[in-house]
Formats: sequence, C-alpha cells, structure tokens
Amino acid sequence: MQRFYLPSFVLLMLILEGVALDFLPQFLMDKDLLIVPHWMLLFLVLIAIYYDFENTYYAVLYAVIFGLMIDIVSTSVIGVYMFIYALVIYIIHGLRKVLHTNYLVAFLLAVLDVIMVDIGVYIIYFFIGINHMQWNEYMSVRLVPTLIGNMIFFILLYPIFKGKLMKWSSDRFDSKRV
Amino acid sequence: MLFFRRKRLFIILIGFIILVGSIGFSLRDREELTTVEEFLHDAVGWFQGVVHQPVEFTTTLVSNINELKHIYEENQVLKTRLSQYNLLLHEVKELRKENDELYSVLGKTESESLNEFIPIQASVIARSKEQWFKMITINKGEQDGVETNMAVITGEGMVGKIYSSSQFTSSVLLLNGFDRSNRISVVVDAEETDKDPTGFIVGYDEEAETLLLELDEYDVEVSEGELVVSSGLGGVFPKGLEIGTIEEVAPDKYGLTKVAHVSPSADLYNFGHVIVVDRQATIPSEVESEPEEGEE
Repeated sequence: MQRFYLPSFVLLMLILEGVALDFLPQFLMDKDLLIVPHWMLLFLVLIAIYYDFENTYYAVLYAVIFGLMIDIVSTSVIGVYMFIYALVIYIIHGLRKVLHTNYLVAFLLAVLDVIMVDIGVYIIYFFIGINHMQWNEYMSVRLVPTLIGNMIFFILLYPIFKGKLMKWSSDRFDSKRV
Repeated sequence: MLFFRRKRLFIILIGFIILVGSIGFSLRDREELTTVEEFLHDAVGWFQGVVHQPVEFTTTLVSNINELKHIYEENQVLKTRLSQYNLLLHEVKELRKENDELYSVLGKTESESLNEFIPIQASVIARSKEQWFKMITINKGEQDGVETNMAVITGEGMVGKIYSSSQFTSSVLLLNGFDRSNRISVVVDAEETDKDPTGFIVGYDEEAETLLLELDEYDVEVSEGELVVSSGLGGVFPKGLEIGTIEEVAPDKYGLTKVAHVSPSADLYNFGHVIVVDRQATIPSEVESEPEEGEE
C-alpha cells in the first residue's frame, strides 16, 4: 500500500498546479507577471533528497512519467517538461551525494532546481518559437517572480513532507535489506 | 568507471533524441489527439474538476463580499436603465416581426443564417500552468458536442476557440494566443459609412495588449471606439460575436494595409464559466464528411 503514497502525492501536486493560478491575488495578474507553479518539481526535489538512496532513482523515474503528463495536459508540445525535469532531477540527485543534507542545502538545491528548469524551458520554447520574449524581459517578468512564488511554496512544503518521506524511505528500503 | 560515464552520456543523448522527436510529432498540424492524450486529459481534468470546486467556492466568496459594497449604487443605476429597456424591447419585437415577415416574403428560412448557434455551457476547471500557451481547460468534451475550432464566448464577448477536444474535457486557446494560423474574419461596425469595413484578426500585440486587425481595404474610414464583431465568413465562427473595440488605427510597416489595434471586450483572465458556440450553418467541407459519420 505504501508504495502508492508517493506517486499519488506527486499526482496531487500536478493537479494542484492547474488550479494554482486561481489562488493568486488579482493585482499580480494585472502587472503582467508570469508566475509558473513548479510545485511538482519541488516535491520531486524532496524525494530526491530524502527518499532516494544513492543507487535508487525513483525521483528521476517520477520526473519522466509525470513530466510527460504535464506536457500532455497543460501544453501542446510534448517532451519539453519530461526531458528538463528528468535531467534537472538527475543533476540534483547527483549533487546530494556530495552535499550534507540539511534545511539550507535543500533550500538552495530547490532554488537551483527551479532556476535550471525555468531557463531550460525558456530556451527550448524560444527555439521552437512559442515565446518571443527577450532575455532581459524574461528575467524580470517571469524568472524572478516564479522563483519567489515557488520558494514560498517550498517553505510550506518542507516541514510537511520531510519527516514523512524519511519514514517511508526507511520503511521501504530497510525491510528489503534485513 | 569510464563505462558508467559513457552509459550516462548515452542515456542523455537518447533522451535528447526523444525530446526532438516528440516535439516534432506534436508541432505538426494534428486534427485529433491520440487516445493516450485524450485519456490523460480526461483523467487529470476530472481530478482538477473535483479540486476546483472548493477553490472556486472560496475565491468567489471573497469577490462577492467585495462586490457587496457597491451594490446599492449599481442598483440605482440599473433601475433607471430598466425603464428605458422596456421601450427598446418593444421596438425590438416590432423589428423582429417585420424581419420575419420580410424573410417569409423572400422565401428564405432563417435557420440557414450565419448567426444561428447552439450554446454549450461549460465551466473552467484549470488554467495551463505554462502561461506562454494561453490555454485553459473546460469541463465539456466531444460527448457534449464540443469540437475543435468552435468559438468560445463569455457574456462580454469572445474569449477564444477550442484548441483540442477529448471525450469529457477540452482545451481552449485564448484570444491572446492567436496568431496567423487561426485568423478570425471580422467586420467593423462603422457609424458613418453604409458599407462596413471588413478584415481579419491576425494576431495579438503583447505589449499593447490588443488584437491586431488587418483591414481588407486601405481607404476605409475606421475610427476609435467602433465595435468589431465576427463576420461569420471565416468558416467556423458564427456571425455577430462581439470581439472588441478599436483603439488605434495605423498603416502597417510596409504601408500597404491598415492595421487597427482592437482591445478585447471580454476579460481574458477572470472568468469561471464560458459558452461554447456550435454554429448551425454547415461548412461545405463538413457536408462532405457527414456520410462518413453516419457509417460509424
């Protein structure tokens, strides 16, 4: 039963992203800022840090599957989010081997993660011709507001799921080893 | 160790090939979604519909409380307007009767006309998180008669068109995501001339937040504040859908045509319910394909 918890929470994040824009107050919309919720990605970062071991790649697997779902459900171009999510989560997975895991490191990894994903998405969409935004405009209109919005969410998400993920992880993997 | 690095590089390269392949697959002009995509749209759409209920309840509650402050003033204004409407209503009735009579004299039935349509009521259940796509999801799909390319309106005017439809949900492309590949044929309701100028909506100006209207003729007089409505000649949209008002007219960069900036009448960010417009008048190409549908 426990192995279904994780994918269902990832799915919940994906669904919440669709209604996320309703939560934003009106004055933010009027200013033409683009705030993109990367909630699922933040949850995947937590999985990569607290659930996965060095030789398990559940976060990357979920990034591929649910990244593809984001592509299909909320954009008309398939493959962009799948590729970028998987690549970035893989990099995060590699980085956590080097770094000692605590709150600050998790926060910084999440910041790095959102920046890499958003710039990656910007570059690919720019080459396909979906957005025509210049780099400077993109920085101020989209990247910075997106980063701030997502980090607020991460601060809320972290205390809720950190303990749970570590518990699920030990339940799952320790029982195998014994 | 070298072997593992090579393997890693290999996987990333394969991933890149898949990325390019799937982008190529989804960027070509597709008539319909694949079954897998339809299934995912419907499944996620269903969950989003469930989650959206409480969210919408709270957000509307907050805005309702805000609106309460202005209700008294609005009520006074509306009451004075109401008395004028009775007069107008009478006039409309007379005109409609006269119109019907004239049609019957001509021997033409009105159901053929371009402005007839069946409205399909739908609710917005999600907005695309990637805001460059200007897409929203609504809770009606092919089962309710929604098809690709139908116009989508709110009470204020046109907001977009159906981009793709699956069985129970569909994606709507908003007006501010329109480009040359999805033009709208429009007429400008000019006050002074008898012959209304025609043109096409060819795109959206992100900076000015206006639609770009390319007028068919150069020497027509179009002035600020005039209403732009769909002409029904483009094939998919019915006649008479309100699109916006003219803000500014300027020659285009080559000086060959005139381009008008049209500000959309409908608010493209704040709406919870929409109407999908199913046009009654058939398009020639659809008539040909009808026998095929009968066979299925």
